[in-house]
Amino acid sequence: MASKTVAKDIITLRGSAAIVSEFFEESFGKVKKYGLPLLLTQDEGVKSFIANLTAQLSEWLEAGKLQRIVLVIMSKSTNEVLERWNFSIETDNEVVETGVSREKSDKEIMREIQAIMRQIASSITYLPCLDEPCVFDVLAYTDKDVAAPLTWIESDPKLISNPQMVKLHSFDTKIHKVNTLVSYKNDDDDELDEQ
Amino acid sequence: MILRTPPPRKRRAESNPPEEGSPAGRLVIYEDPPSPQPESSPLPSDHLLCTYQCRQMVKAELLDNYASMEKTIDENQSKLVTLNENLLTAEEEGKKYRDQFLYAEQELAAARGREQSLQDKLLKEIKESQERLTKQIQQCNELEVKLQKEESMRRSSESSAAAAEEKANRLERKLNQLSDSTERERKNLQDELKHLKGDSKLSMSRLRAELERVQCQSSNAVKESEQLKKKLEEVIKQLNKCLQEKNELETKISSFTCPEEGSESSQNDVLLKHLQEELRNYEYEVLEARKLKASHENIELVKEKLIEERRRRERAEAELTKLQEIQLSMNVLEDELASWKKILKEIPGVESSDDVPLKFVALQKEVIDGMAKLGEANTRLKQLEVALEGAELDKKNVESETALAKEKEESLKLEIKELKSKLLSVNEDGDQLRTAYNELKQQTNVEPGYEAVGRALTQGLESSLAQKDTYIKELELNLSEHKAANDRQRNEIRMLNEKLNSEARKIKSLERESDRLRSEIALLESKLGHGDFSSANTKVLRMVNALGVESEARQTIEALQCELQKANEKLQVVEELKKQSADAGQLVDSYISGKIVQLKEQISTLEKREERYKTVFADRISVFRRACCELFGYKIVMDDQHRSNGIPITRFTLQSIYAQSDDEKLEFEYESGNTNILINDYAKQRDISRQVEIFIRKLNSIPAFTANITVESFNKRTLS
Repeated sequence: MASKTVAKDIITLRGSAAIVSEFFEESFGKVKKYGLPLLLTQDEGVKSFIANLTAQLSEWLEAGKLQRIVLVIMSKSTNEVLERWNFSIETDNEVVETGVSREKSDKEIMREIQAIMRQIASSITYLPCLDEPCVFDVLAYTDKDVAAPLTWIESDPKLISNPQMVKLHSFDTKIHKVNTLVSYKNDDDDELDEQ
Repeated sequence: MILRTPPPRKRRAESNPPEEGSPAGRLVIYEDPPSPQPESSPLPSDHLLCTYQCRQMVKAELLDNYASMEKTIDENQSKLVTLNENLLTAEEEGKKYRDQFLYAEQELAAARGREQSLQDKLLKEIKESQERLTKQIQQCNELEVKLQKEESMRRSSESSAAAAEEKANRLERKLNQLSDSTERERKNLQDELKHLKGDSKLSMSRLRAELERVQCQSSNAVKESEQLKKKLEEVIKQLNKCLQEKNELETKISSFTCPEEGSESSQNDVLLKHLQEELRNYEYEVLEARKLKASHENIELVKEKLIEERRRRERAEAELTKLQEIQLSMNVLEDELASWKKILKEIPGVESSDDVPLKFVALQKEVIDGMAKLGEANTRLKQLEVALEGAELDKKNVESETALAKEKEESLKLEIKELKSKLLSVNEDGDQLRTAYNELKQQTNVEPGYEAVGRALTQGLESSLAQKDTYIKELELNLSEHKAANDRQRNEIRMLNEKLNSEARKIKSLERESDRLRSEIALLESKLGHGDFSSANTKVLRMVNALGVESEARQTIEALQCELQKANEKLQVVEELKKQSADAGQLVDSYISGKIVQLKEQISTLEKREERYKTVFADRISVFRRACCELFGYKIVMDDQHRSNGIPITRFTLQSIYAQSDDEKLEFEYESGNTNILINDYAKQRDISRQVEIFIRKLNSIPAFTANITVESFNKRTLS
C-alpha cells in the first residue's frame, strides 16, 4: 500500500498484488475493512497458515503466475468436498512484463471488494448447511512452469461432481481481475439418490 | 374471329332512269303502222283518233312537242349520264367506304381478337402465376414442415449428443475419481504399511529394550546372587571358623574345666547343639530360599512367555482382522479393477490399460482444442451475429419490396380491369357504329339522294375509326408496357423471393450455428467455472497442512516425553534397587529373614497367580481344543520333544472324530514353521498313503488332506 500514490489514483503491480493478497488475508480477519465488519480467526496456527499462504500468493501474483485460488471446504470425516470458493485471477501480462501502471482509484476497488464481501456474507442464505465438522484447504492454480516451494505439493483439483454454481461479483485493479464463483454440492442429487 | 363481309349488292334496276327509244305512251298516230308493241299493253291514247287537219295540227304540235321532248330527252339523257356518272362515282366511293369500313371492321375484329387473346393470355398467366404462387406457398409450407421436422431432429440429435457428451464427461469424471481413489487407497495402504512397519520397528525396539533391561536385571540378579553366595560362603567360613574356635575353645574348656564344669559343658553342648540346629535350620532356609529364588525366576520366565504368547495371540488376532480388511479391500480393488476393465472396454479406441494415459492426453488435447475452438467460435459467432443482423435487415427490405411489388401487381390488375372495361366500351362503340352504319345503309336504300349526308357520315365514321385505331394502338401499347412492367416485377418478385429464401436459409443456418456455439460456450464456461483446467499450462498446488503435521508431531513428542519420564522413573527405581541391593549385601544378615519373608509372600502370590493363569490357560486351551475338534473334526494332542541336537520339536497327533478305531491317528511334526507328516501304520495304508502322496507331497496342502480324510471317514461311518 505504501508504494501506491493515492493522490494520482495510479496503481502499481505491487500495490495490486498487495491489495489482492490483503483481500485474501483480511477475508478471515475481524476488522472494520471495506466498510464492513469482518471476522478474524483467533487461532494462531490458522493465522500463521494464512500468513504463509498469502506471502506465497502475493509472490505469485507479482510474477503473474497465479491463475486461480480455490478455498475448498471438505467434510472432516469423509473428505468429501462440500464447497468450493473459486477466485479466478486474470492478470494483465503487459503490466507484469513492462511494469507500466494503470489508473484506477482505491475507492472504486474498495467498493468492488465490499460488494463481493457482502455477497459472501449473504451466501449463507442459499448455501447448504454444514452440519458436520469440516476442514478447509487452499488450492492455487498456477502456471505450469512455476517451481513448487517446499511447503507446496501438487494436488488434485478437488472437484465437486455436478455442482450448483453461483457467480458472485468481481473486482478489478486494472492489473488483476478477480472473478468469484462458489460451487457447492447439489443436495437434490442426494435426495434423488435416496429415492 | 369472324370476318364479316358485307352482303352482295343488288343492282338497282328499278332505280335506273327510263331508257331511250321506248314508246312514249302519250301520242300515237293512227296512219302509222302499228308499232311492234305488244298488244297486251293497250295505250291510253287510242280514243284520241281525229281527222287530217286535226292530224296536221296535231302533227305540228306533236312535232313541236317532239322537238321539245327530244330536247328535254337530250337534256335528261345528259342529266342521266351525269347522274349515272355521279352514281357510279358515288357507288365507287361507297364501295371504297364500304371496303374501308369492312377493313376497319376486320381490323376491329382483329384487334378485338388480339385483345381477347391478350386477355386470355393475361388470364392464363395470372392463373399460372396464382397457381405457381399457391404451389410455392404449398412448397413453402412443406419446406416449413420439413424444416420443423429437421429442427426437431436436430434438437433430438443435439440432445442425444449432449447426453452422450454428458455420459462421456461422467465416465471421464468417474475414471478420474476411480483413478484418484485407487491412488489414494494405494497411498493409504502404503501409509498404513509404513505405519505398521514403524509400529513393528518401534515394538521391536521396545521389546529389545525390554529384553536388554530384563537381561540386565537377570545379570544383576545373577551378580547379586553370586555376591550373596560369596557372602554366604564367607559367612559359612566365618561360621566354620567360629565352630573351629568353638571346638578349640570346647576342647580347651574340656581340657581346662573338664571335671569342674561338666554341667556347664553339657549346657554349652546343649547350647551348641541348639546353635548348630539353628544354623542348620538357617542353612535349610537359605537352601529353600535359593530354591524359591530359582522357582521365582522360573515363574518370571513363564510369565514372560505367557505375555509373549498373549502378545502373539493379540498380534495374530490383529493380523486376522487386518487380513479380513485387506481381503475386503482386495475384493473392492478387484471389483474396481473389473469396473475399470469394463470402462476400458467401453472407452472407444482403448484396448489396454496402457492406452488410457494416451487417451487422457488425447482428451486433454481435445479440451485445449475445444478452448481454442471456443475462442474461434466466439469470434465467428459475433461475425455471424453481425451477418444475421444484416440478413434480417435485408429480409425486412425484401419483405417491404415484396409488399410494394404486390401492391403494384394489384394496381396492374386494376389497370387491366380498367383496360378491359375500356375495351368493352370500344366494342360497344363499334356496335354503335355498326348500327349507325346499318341505319345509314337503310337510309341510303330508302333515300338514295342523301349522298351528302352519307358522305358526312362516312367522314365521321372515318374520323371515329381513325380515333379508334389510335386509341386501340394506345391501348395496345399500354397493354404491352404493362405486360413488360408486369414481367419485370414478376421477375423482381421471383428474384426477391429467391433472395428471401436464401436469406431465410442463411438466417436459419446462422441461428443453428449460434445456438450450437452458445451451447458449446455454456458447456465450456460451466466446465471452466466448475474448476476444470488444462493440464498443459496449469497445475494445482496445495500448501502442506502444517497445522495437522504440527499437531501430529506434538502428539508424538508428548508420547515420547511420557515414555522418557517413565524410563527415568524406572531408572530411579533401578538405581534405588541397586542401592538397596548394595545395602543388602552389607546388611544381609539383618535383612535376610525379612527378605525371605517378603520373597515367600511374593512366591505365594506368584504361585497363586500362576495357578490362576494355569487354570485360565487350561480353560482357554480346552475351549480352543474343543472348538478345533468341533470345527475341524480332529482331536489334537500336542507333545513337545527335543531332538538329539537340542532343537525343540512339537508333535501333533490328530485323531478324527469319525475314526473307526483308535489306530486311525495321524502324526505331524512341527518344527520352526514347517509341518511334516510322520508315516505311521495308519498312514502306511494304501489309500491313505496315496492321499498323502497327492495332497501333501504334490499339492502341498495338509488341510486338504485332513479334510478329505474327514469326509471319507464321515462317509464310511454314515454309509456303513
